[in-house]
Amino acid sequence: MDKKFKIEFDEANVQDSVSYILVTEFDLKPNVLKAEISGDGSGVMILALEGEEAKLEAAEKRLKEAGFNVSITKRIERDEDLCWDCGACVSICPVFCFSHDKDTMKVMLDNSKCIACSSCVNACSVHALSLHL
Amino acid sequence: MSKTYEQINERIRSGKAVVYTAEEVIDLVREKGADKAAEEVDVVTTGTFGAMCSSGAFVNFGHASPAIRMTDIRLNDVQVDGGLAAVDTYIGATATVPGQKAGYGGAHVIEDLIAHKKIHLHASGPGTDCYVRKEIDTWITIDDINDAYLYNPRNCYQNYGVATNTSDRTIYTYMGKLMPRMKNASYSSAGQLSPLLNDPHLETIGMGTKIFLGGGEGYVTWPGTQYKTNVEEVNGVPVGGSRTLALIGDMRQMDAKFIRGLDITGYGVSMAVGVGIPIPVLNKDIIQRCAISDEEIFSDMVDYSQPVDRPAMARYSYAQLRTGKVEYNGKTIRTSSLSSYSGARKVASILKDWIEHKEFTLNQPVMTFPKDVKLNKLQERGC
Repeated sequence: MDKKFKIEFDEANVQDSVSYILVTEFDLKPNVLKAEISGDGSGVMILALEGEEAKLEAAEKRLKEAGFNVSITKRIERDEDLCWDCGACVSICPVFCFSHDKDTMKVMLDNSKCIACSSCVNACSVHALSLHL
Repeated sequence: MSKTYEQINERIRSGKAVVYTAEEVIDLVREKGADKAAEEVDVVTTGTFGAMCSSGAFVNFGHASPAIRMTDIRLNDVQVDGGLAAVDTYIGATATVPGQKAGYGGAHVIEDLIAHKKIHLHASGPGTDCYVRKEIDTWITIDDINDAYLYNPRNCYQNYGVATNTSDRTIYTYMGKLMPRMKNASYSSAGQLSPLLNDPHLETIGMGTKIFLGGGEGYVTWPGTQYKTNVEEVNGVPVGGSRTLALIGDMRQMDAKFIRGLDITGYGVSMAVGVGIPIPVLNKDIIQRCAISDEEIFSDMVDYSQPVDRPAMARYSYAQLRTGKVEYNGKTIRTSSLSSYSGARKVASILKDWIEHKEFTLNQPVMTFPKDVKLNKLQERGC
């Protein structure tokens, strides 16, 4: 299974290699989706992690104990009442989360692939898409 | 063989009319041929549900006591027209809150009115001997004002171009978000379901044609603004923007599902309008034209990063565009529709349902539209 971790750090642990811990101690496969460090040493990193569920849970606990603020990030969400099935989002998503159903021609969302880039959010003319990182 | 409007309406009134959507009729004509299909079918219904900026609503608020001649009118802060009589206005779909480029606008006010929501009205005027009041602040709904009808000067564009972006930055256009270096392209026509692609020379559509507009009954009133006919045709239909229609309809009959306010990033406000037009099968030529499919309708791709002169880069069929990707000089460009095909299909099927249930008959146009129109460019000159 895969989960996306949002990991916040500060000047006390900015030098630590989170990815190394996740790979060596928990056999997880990390993919950095976003990483930012501010001038004061604080920052945020979003990692997509693949691995066993128990290990993902243990890894979350381990990072929290090491002083990191860890939360499981949300994926893109759609307000089904607002979506009018235009399709503006379909060609925007880099990982093909959106597609037209061949029979109904409605716009389908498979957010399991979402990498939280948020590119689709401002492509939607009815504000049906949101991403709360 | 041929039929008259009266014969078709008689069949509708007796509940015997055979109605196909513009999508369903494609296979029927392929299987049986136009002659047989024309005998069998009475009406073909079309549909489109896309952004149509040149839309709006006339409203009369009714007079307060004492009365006011409104010249500065705000509905939910959106500035609407103050250039009509005392308590009349026109809510342009693209109107915005003063100082804001986008967000909530005229189209959203119209959608909220149709949805019976409360709208904040704030208006001021000069105060005159006959209209002494200078300001009013109140709340209205569509149920307690007088007239409320859509009048859309340009809807139902007959085909439209495909937009891409060759530049190095993302651009935000009325054709949607266009990623750098031609990563994507967008198109807007409903193609084989689109009203004016099924009656390309407007043989049956003209002033007085009764239509589906926003979930209610409406009418075609006039050629739409920017109507033109001098566009190259392939398979009998234009390959770019050509004819358009001006439409009218009572907002009280409408459903907010088919009139949607749009906030298009970087461009502004627009309105998605659901329109369906019935085409009477008067003869086999008419049904042959209704049988046109996405494989036979083409549109040219142009570069929206160019501020002037956008030459055609490539030509694609709607069947190609709907696969989600097209090829250009060995590069794959992903495609997006900006109009709702499932919505267009719903419009055509609701209209079909109305006709089958004897709730909707066809009007013969009282005036047909011009056959030879070119557009003028705006000249910049001293005097």
